Amino acid sequence: MPRTIAVECPGCPPIRALTFDVLGLIKVIEGRGGGGDQQATTTTPKVVERWGEPDSSRTVLAASINDRKSDPLLAVARKNGRIEVLNPLNGELRVAEKTEVGGDDDPITGLHLFKRERFELSSRSCTLITCTVKGNAILRSLEIADSLTDSKCTDSRKTWNVCAAGNILCSAVDGNENYALFGGKGVELNVWDLETCSKTWNAKSPPKNSLDIFTPTCFTAATFLCKDDHRKIVAGTNSHQVRLYDISAQRRPVISFDFRESAIKTVAEDLDGHTIYLGTGSGDLASVDMRTGKLLGCFLGKCSGSIRSIVRHPEFPVIASCGLDRYLRFWDINTRQLLSAVFLKQHLTKVVIDSNFSDKETTAAAVGPPKEMHEEKQMLVEEEDDEEDASVPVKRKKAARESEQSKKVKAKKKKEKRVRHDDEDDEEKQMLVEEDVDDASMPVKRKKANRENEQSKKLKSKKKKEKQVQHEDEGDEETQTLVEEDDDKASMPVKSKKASRESEQSKKLKPKKKKVKRIQHKDEDDES
Amino acid sequence: MGGKRKMGEGEAVEEEEKEVNPTNKKRQILPSLIKNKEKRSAVFAKLKHEKKLEKKKKHKAREAADKRALDLGEELPPRKIPRTIENTREFDETVCKPNDEELFKGNDADEFSKILRREFTPKILITTCRYHSTRGPAFISELLTVIPNAHYFKRGTYDMKKIVEYANNKEFTSIIVVHTNRREPDALLIIGLPDGPTAHFKLSKLVLRKDIKNHGNPTTHMPELVLNNFTTRLGHRVGRMIQALFPQDPNFRGRRVVTFHNQRDFIFFRHHRYIFEQKENKQIDGKGKKAKDAKDTKDTKDTKGESISQGKMIARLQECGPRFTLKLISLQHGTFDTKGGEYEWVHKPEMDTSRRRFFL
Repeated sequence: MPRTIAVECPGCPPIRALTFDVLGLIKVIEGRGGGGDQQATTTTPKVVERWGEPDSSRTVLAASINDRKSDPLLAVARKNGRIEVLNPLNGELRVAEKTEVGGDDDPITGLHLFKRERFELSSRSCTLITCTVKGNAILRSLEIADSLTDSKCTDSRKTWNVCAAGNILCSAVDGNENYALFGGKGVELNVWDLETCSKTWNAKSPPKNSLDIFTPTCFTAATFLCKDDHRKIVAGTNSHQVRLYDISAQRRPVISFDFRESAIKTVAEDLDGHTIYLGTGSGDLASVDMRTGKLLGCFLGKCSGSIRSIVRHPEFPVIASCGLDRYLRFWDINTRQLLSAVFLKQHLTKVVIDSNFSDKETTAAAVGPPKEMHEEKQMLVEEEDDEEDASVPVKRKKAARESEQSKKVKAKKKKEKRVRHDDEDDEEKQMLVEEDVDDASMPVKRKKANRENEQSKKLKSKKKKEKQVQHEDEGDEETQTLVEEDDDKASMPVKSKKASRESEQSKKLKPKKKKVKRIQHKDEDDES
Repeated sequence: MGGKRKMGEGEAVEEEEKEVNPTNKKRQILPSLIKNKEKRSAVFAKLKHEKKLEKKKKHKAREAADKRALDLGEELPPRKIPRTIENTREFDETVCKPNDEELFKGNDADEFSKILRREFTPKILITTCRYHSTRGPAFISELLTVIPNAHYFKRGTYDMKKIVEYANNKEFTSIIVVHTNRREPDALLIIGLPDGPTAHFKLSKLVLRKDIKNHGNPTTHMPELVLNNFTTRLGHRVGRMIQALFPQDPNFRGRRVVTFHNQRDFIFFRHHRYIFEQKENKQIDGKGKKAKDAKDTKDTKDTKGESISQGKMIARLQECGPRFTLKLISLQHGTFDTKGGEYEWVHKPEMDTSRRRFFL
């Protein structure tokens, strides 16, 4: 048969992502759990919906989502200069606006939809900032009405020019939405205060290298390192450099290092505030710790085309990446393993994640905090391993033999017991019965446990005999304690193996110690 | 299959010597475990001989069945299809389906659609790498005869980006760069203009016209184009890129055909003249070939419209022009830009997980 290596895609947690492509289509990808709650942890995402008609002039250049619980919004900037605000749940068009700047010669590169209200005009308005290639930044507010005809652009807008020359290629807005940063070809990174629309900081180009060669500035990707802090900025350049700027420290990069051989096309930050994800023009995806500038690892897969966009899921440890190879891929950030890939037929430009999806759609059982889920998974894996061990046939045979032998021995002993101690308490008999019941009710993990239980029983029974011979008077009390011990063991069948072994060892050890003590005592006696 | 056969042989041996059955069976299963070379080779020889006999027997049986069917006038027993690497190819979801309207919309929006809709006639600029000699110019002169409306420009010391700019101004639609290493052409770079993709091919097995036996000389008619087997989305794109090099209105009078045949990700280039001839004897074979040819040409866009099949017509081929093989190394978005370019597809070693996985 053909030798093939199956591509392992374990599936990802329930997720909903929207992708935008060069034909202006918006595709909704959902991974839903199959009916049962157990399958809900891993799903295979599929294309659920497709909005819009294929038209190359409507190519999506930038997109931004405001995924609040009630009335979420999705803003999309298209190549023909239109900005549309959609409902990300059903694709319904809320507001559309044609910008006077824009069009073919000056397309929009950056778009951000504000999560909090900027202008206190009315509750039903949204604020967004756009930036074109030539540096025209516009902060505007759109009023949303119930019908499309009523809604219009209000007058409250601020326009300013970010750069005098050069092309803006990347832009970002920080987590508190007070600052925006811009950078591009021939434009050093600069940070703007959105309240006053004034430039607060400007980067300085790095000095010439040892050969007196000056690399022209060309920033292709930039983002803020953490949500709360607007002072740390990570940027990727066309000459495959990654730089960390600290506004409070200096104007030149704090950390700067090379990554591979092709231009950094996208940078995305993690929630923890120090990890970032890089995507390059030749399809390399990696995560880097920006505190040290060290590479944490690469995301290996059959990713063959330039990566245009990376998004981190706000809850699950998952990132989504898309690009020119026409695939949307989901990756696990801990194991850096490909969870699943969806073929979407067109060059993709942008991906966003709708984080409220799991709350709404799937059962509450599936939506545990992600860390717990991981632990559970690991537990499950371990348990499975144990089961596998138990199910190995060779071992089973041995175990069976041993158990038979031990049963014989036991039976003999029981007979003896009964002969010797006919007047034994009823409690012990009851205890035996209970143990049997327990054994029967746990058929999976019984073999080894059985063996050990039996061994321990042997030991116990010996001891019992001795004790009972020695202290027949105190029999009642002792049996009670024994019963308690056995109950404990029965209630913890999984962990009983090691515990019982240890207990056996300790039991063996104890008599030795006693002997030693006795010897010492004797010595002392002699001395005395 | 192999296992079954071995089992069969094992049974045969069992009949001869039943006492030594278990040991013998072990040897039958793993003859390579025998350490003594003489014994091992003897066992192997025996096995091989048995296999050969078996094969002969099968063949004879099949022939007999065929003959009987012919005599009785029944239908011939169905031919078995051999298992090849191509037809056991790994499942690929990117293979284009004929009823995919999104694909056609995507095609309409891509960089070649204007040429393929005959709004422009393709105009090709051919140039070389910095230093080239011997086989390079010979190959280029042959390329000039193959591709109509192609113009050779000396490379000089110009940058690739400058050349792209120049070609854009002169309204060229594509640039072909022949890269030579050690006086042997070894790579081909095809750049679509004005903003089309850049494909980088490895070129190998180049045979020039004068080295082909009984070669013909091509005419200046517009050639017909045959593109075979470009199935996936990437293959489709590469195919369209190649298609955009040639004019879309072939002169069927010229009976000249250029073939790009993709097999296992290698693109084979051939250039033929063909002629239809009457053939009297060997009717069955002739028909078969004819039907096949017609089918091949129908698959592609430029079909031979006139080749309406008549009973005893066959197509004879004469090869002319160079013969070479291409393999895609990378497909880059936009025009030539090695430093900041974005790749649509680039081959990486981690993608080679199986020999049955193909990208075109």
